Amino acid sequence: MEKRLLLKEYGVQLWTRELAKEVRSQLVVLLDQLEPGDTAVIDAAGVQVFDYSFANELFGKTLLSLPYEYPGRFLIVENLSPYVRLNLTKALESLGLAIIERTGGELKLLGKVHPADEATFAEVAKSREPLTAAVLRDRLGANLNAINERLTKLTNLALVRRERGVSPAGRELYLYRVLA
Amino acid sequence: MGIMLTTPTYRIRKLDSITFDDLLREQDPFGAQSPRFDLRQVKFVTPAAMVQLAAACHFLDRQERRATINLSGTTVPSYFLRSNFVNIVRPVAHFNPPFRRGALDAFDHLHGSNQVLIEVTKIETGQALQGLLSRIVDVLIRNLAYPEAAAFDAVIAVSEVAQNTFDHNDETCGFLAMQVYGQGQHRFLEIGVADFGQGLAATLRRNPLHAGVQTDLEMIERAVQNRTSQHHDDQTRGTRMYHLLSIAHQHAGSLQIRSGGANLRYRGDRRQGWGRDVPHMPGVHIALTLPAVFPTP
Repeated sequence: MEKRLLLKEYGVQLWTRELAKEVRSQLVVLLDQLEPGDTAVIDAAGVQVFDYSFANELFGKTLLSLPYEYPGRFLIVENLSPYVRLNLTKALESLGLAIIERTGGELKLLGKVHPADEATFAEVAKSREPLTAAVLRDRLGANLNAINERLTKLTNLALVRRERGVSPAGRELYLYRVLA
Repeated sequence: MGIMLTTPTYRIRKLDSITFDDLLREQDPFGAQSPRFDLRQVKFVTPAAMVQLAAACHFLDRQERRATINLSGTTVPSYFLRSNFVNIVRPVAHFNPPFRRGALDAFDHLHGSNQVLIEVTKIETGQALQGLLSRIVDVLIRNLAYPEAAAFDAVIAVSEVAQNTFDHNDETCGFLAMQVYGQGQHRFLEIGVADFGQGLAATLRRNPLHAGVQTDLEMIERAVQNRTSQHHDDQTRGTRMYHLLSIAHQHAGSLQIRSGGANLRYRGDRRQGWGRDVPHMPGVHIALTLPAVFPTP
């Protein structure tokens, strides 16, 4: 399931932390309705600008709380103008955070992301099926420890979802996916 | 009737964010029994100095002291009227000579109409700020043909500074003003924001991480680093000054941050700031100048 928040309803120019608190309270209402695997979409269509205080309060605070308060749920952004994308990236970089942007059918990360984590995310995101760390090791050519570290990091940032699965041999393992 | 004055000895002709400290040093309004700002020699005042003066008068008023602002000629008094400075300051200070009743509303019909001036505005809440910021965007894009991205950058800088004035101070407010100067390639804008709150040192020392910082200058230097905040438990705070400085660098502008008894100035695209001790005054004062930006042909 996807729930959508239309940012433009709050204005095309979004200033101040105070306004972001109002928007975030609505986002929390949406997140409360989601089950693990579901997605909240922040639709920025028509938004010209927001300041860093707004970005920190809305995106920063939500991303920080997501893995703990809403585990397994995703937060993504869509329809960012080039200027808004650039500023959101700067805001998230300064906070050490990242968010998923969906453009067309493509998913990519905005914010502070190590290239290796980005490659791991891209591999999980393009797969139709959830992947194990072993499969990612083979596809990305890195050792298993490194892959597991990246996956833990991405999971803790609510950028990939970790599910329990069972291998063909009957062993319990973790599966990773992005969105449902 | 005005107070009789002796011949002024102060030589400040241009009152800006730098000479404002010379004014405090020479005239010591906070230490004086009868606080006064003698501006009779002043021929030109910038927005940054104007909001500093407004903050100083409001601070004195909070101490139940009423400042007197001495003026002469017509240029500065007229600018003070046109820029709304008189309306903002008159409830807490005397003007000498006083403005005639008719003069006080002489520019009322022009308020908000000047394309290159954002009049002195009191900032108390985020809600009030939102309309003002969108108006500045409008001025920059429609009237001054700024490219959208450059206008947004400038206004984001204003927004971040202005929010500090009420986020970190409970019982005070801030003041904001902006003016665009010059023509063609020499055009630039100056934005001034000043409050009379606790200042950076007192605010940031609430965070145990910064409790050991001794001087105002060290605290300003720390404040421009990413994630320096009074809130040790909120990771999303403390990026405002950092982003403000980034915007100033990006546009080769200059930035001055004054807090308590220190002043840190960044010029052009140089990464290093120049700090100096200044007369102590409560609050945080920001002066930001950004060179004109022209649309790409």
